[in-house]
Amino acid sequence: MDNLGFVAGASAIGAGLAMIAGLGPGIGEGYCGGKAVEAIGRQPEASGAITKQMIIGDALAETTGIYSLVVALLLMFANPFTGMNGIAK
Amino acid sequence: MITPGTMLLAEEGTFTVEGPLRSIPLPFLNDIFGEENACIAESVVSQWVVMIILAVVFFVLGRNLKLKPESKRQILAEWIVGFFSGYVETSMGTRYKKSYAPYIGALFCFCILSCLMGLLGLRNPTADVSVTGSWALITFTLVLYTKIKTGGFKGYMKSFIEPMPFMLPFNIIGDFANPISQAMRLFGNNLSGIVIGGLIYYALGSFAIAVPAVLSLYFDLFSAVIQSYIFVTLTMSYVIMADADA
Repeated sequence: MDNLGFVAGASAIGAGLAMIAGLGPGIGEGYCGGKAVEAIGRQPEASGAITKQMIIGDALAETTGIYSLVVALLLMFANPFTGMNGIAK
Repeated sequence: MITPGTMLLAEEGTFTVEGPLRSIPLPFLNDIFGEENACIAESVVSQWVVMIILAVVFFVLGRNLKLKPESKRQILAEWIVGFFSGYVETSMGTRYKKSYAPYIGALFCFCILSCLMGLLGLRNPTADVSVTGSWALITFTLVLYTKIKTGGFKGYMKSFIEPMPFMLPFNIIGDFANPISQAMRLFGNNLSGIVIGGLIYYALGSFAIAVPAVLSLYFDLFSAVIQSYIFVTLTMSYVIMADADA
C-alpha cells in the first residue's frame, strides 16, 4: 500500500470517528426540544418566547457537533496530511 | 491529482463531491494579473446574483410610497419593515430598535436568499467559509463596539479578569470562540447538506428518484430558513449580552 492510500484510508476513518461527536448535540437538543414542549404545554400563551429561547439553546448545543463536522470536512476536502513528508498531493 | 475541491477518496472514479470551494476560471484575466490560472470563486458570483435580486426587489417595493398605503406593493413593503422592527424590538428592546432593525433585516434577507441559492442551481454562498466568516466578523465588531461603548475601554479590559484573574485565558478563548462557532454553524450546515446530497445521489446511482427530493426539502429549505434565523438571532443576542447597561 502506498503512502497516499494509507493516508486517504486513515483520513476516511478519522472523518467517520469525528462524526461520533454528533451523539452529544443530538441528546442535548432532544432534551431542549422536550423541555420546550413541556413548557408550551404548561403555558401555551408563551409559545413564541419559548420557541425563540429553544432555538438559541439548540444552536448553542449544536456547537460541538459543528466542530466535529468541521474536522470531518477538513479531513475529506482539505486534508492537511497530504503533501507532508513526501506523501503525494 | 487531488485538488482542494474534490473529495480525497474519489480521485479514481467518476464520482466527486464538491468541497468547500468551487471556482469559475476566467482566462481573460490571466494577462491582466500575470497569473497562470485566474479564477473567481463561485460563491462570489452567486452573492452578486443575490445582491441583484435583493436590490431590484426592494427598489421596486420602495418606489412611489404614499402616506396612506393604496397598493399591495406598499402594504407588503410596510409588512416587511414592520416585521423586522418588531423582531428586533422583542429581541433587543426598544433602545436598539432604530439602529439595528435595518442591519438585521438586510442580514436576514441576504442570508436566507444565500442559503436558498442552491435551489437555482448556483452554489450557496454560505457553503463558503469565507462568506460566513466575514458575516461573523461583522457581528464580532458590533459586539466589540457595544462593549466598549457601554462599559468603556477600561471596563472592557476589566471584563477579561472577571470574576477571577485566572479566568483570563478562558475569557479570551470565549471571546474568539463566538464568531468562529457562528461562522462554522452556518457553513457546516450548508456544506453538509451539499455533501450528504452528493453522497445520496452517488449511493442511489440511476435509481435516484424521489428520495433526494425529500432530503433536499430538509437540507435546502428547512435547514436554510432555520439556520439564517439562528444566525440573525445569535447576532442580536450576542450584541445584547455585550451591553453592560442592559
